[in-house]
Parts: sequence; C-alpha cells; structure tokens
Amino acid sequence: MELSTTIAPFVRASTNIFREMLDVSIHKGQVEAEGESFLSQGFTVMVGLTGGWEGWFFLDMSQETAIKMASLMVGEDYSSVEEEEVLLAGAEIANIICGNAITDINNIHSGLNIRLTPPSIFAGDNMSMFNVRLNACSVLLQSDIGNVKINVVMKEAK
Amino acid sequence: MDVNHINAFITGLIEVSGMLGLGNLTRTSLGARKQLKTQNEVNIIIGLVGDIKGNVVLSMQEKTAMNIASKMMGGLPVSEFDLMPKSALCELSNMVSGRSVSELEKMGVLTNITPPTLVHGHNLISLISQVETLVIEFSAEEGRLELNIATED
Repeated sequence: MELSTTIAPFVRASTNIFREMLDVSIHKGQVEAEGESFLSQGFTVMVGLTGGWEGWFFLDMSQETAIKMASLMVGEDYSSVEEEEVLLAGAEIANIICGNAITDINNIHSGLNIRLTPPSIFAGDNMSMFNVRLNACSVLLQSDIGNVKINVVMKEAK
Repeated sequence: MDVNHINAFITGLIEVSGMLGLGNLTRTSLGARKQLKTQNEVNIIIGLVGDIKGNVVLSMQEKTAMNIASKMMGGLPVSEFDLMPKSALCELSNMVSGRSVSELEKMGVLTNITPPTLVHGHNLISLISQVETLVIEFSAEEGRLELNIATED
C-alpha cells in the first residue's frame, strides 16, 4: 500500500466538500511525507479507520480557520474554539470528508471493508500527534479561509 | 452505554497496569465529563468500531506519563517527554485496549480497534466522539490517570 496514492481520495473528497458545503475553493495542494509524529496547527479532528486497512485520518487547521469554517457552516459568528459548535462543525466536516473518501476506497478495493469511528476533536497549543511505528502522509491545502492539512496514517491490518 | 462494557475497560487497565508493575492502581471516581477543557497534556486515543462504536481516551499529565514510561522501561530515568516515553505509552494503551477487547469478546461483543494515537499539547480542549463521555479516574503511585469512554451503542 502506497500512502501517497491512498491519500488521493481524501484530497478529492476535501476539495469537493469544501466547495459544495462551504463554498470555499482550494487553490493548491502539496504532498508531504511525515514521520511518526507531526505538529498540529492548533485544531485537529481525528477519525479512526478499521477493517482491511487501519489507522487515522486527521483534518488539521489553525483555530482561526476552524472558527471561520464553523461560521460558514452554521451562519453564526463565533469567537473561540471553546464554543462547542465550533468543535462540532469541524467534526461534521471531517466525518463527511472521511465518509466520502472511504466509500471511494471501498469501491475500488472490494473486500477491504473499511469502517469509521466517530470523530474526536482536539484543540490546544503546541499539539503534536504521535503514531507509533506508522508513517503519515499529508497534503497541505491552501484555501480562502486558511491552510487546511489533511493527514492520513494507515497500515494493512494483520 | 452498557455497564458491562465499561467494566471491560476498567478490568483491562487494571490488569495491564498490574502486569507492568505500576504501583497500586485504584479507581477513585466515575462520572460524566462536564467540561471541554482538560488539564492533561497527554492523551492517547483509540477508536472502536463494531458492536460498540466510539473512542476511548487514556489521559494523564506529562509528569505521570513520564513516571509510567520510566516504570515500563525498568526504572530508566525519563527526563524529557520524547519519542521513547511516547512509544511506551502507546504500547501501554495498545495492551489495555487489546485486553479490553478480548474481555468484550467473552461477552459476545465483537469490536475492532484502531492503532493508538498520542496527542500531546498544552491547554487542550477535547470533544471525544459526540456523545456523553464517561470519565473514570484512577490513582497510582505514578500519578493520576483518567479513562474517558465515549461510545454509541
């Protein structure tokens, strides 16, 4: 399994969802290989994957971007990520992106049968995510509301 | 949320910690999580999919995490929270979840788990799954531990 190809469905889903749901266009994406650990920009939604492949999908952005995203989605102004709606909006977007991408992957590779966990959200200062013995592949997407990084960590299940 | 499912996780944590020689791990309290903020810098999250769907987070302060890592590595002093203690703690939560899942399987509850991810940071705010989170606190010689369980049945 090549990580840089598995991330493609996630990039596609993110671009579509951002355009359709938020009317935000993505200008540019840059693929990066990351090691076991990566730094968050301040706000991360994570969705777990189990089945033929297992791992995590992370949607990472700055807290300002998360607030802007929630405002666009809900149509109300928010001032801080401590407001639960901001966290829930982030979770919803990640859930939809991940759902779309996994549907794609499951269609291409029949028998993988990947399933998702409910999303969890973390926000804070100097956050780092560590995945033991797994390598992450990330794509930094530049959008009108700021940089959004998607990060996929996966391995084949034993 | 079924109390038997919760017990499987409590048993898992207590058994694994006993096996690793953590000192006197005892349960101190159980309740619903009331706030989004957490004082714990180290959070290890594991996802569950199957008959139970949700996330389990083992969370603690950095100091406790370093004490536990040191105990797991045979008393080797840990002064910095770098890759070594991080991977020790991921291993710990892997063992706990593995143990808990086999405990659940005995009850006929089949669940798949994701690999653990360790989230380390300051002034953290977290929302686990999107359901009410149960917090079970433990205290040990190494410090305080919190097991957050958020599952949809």
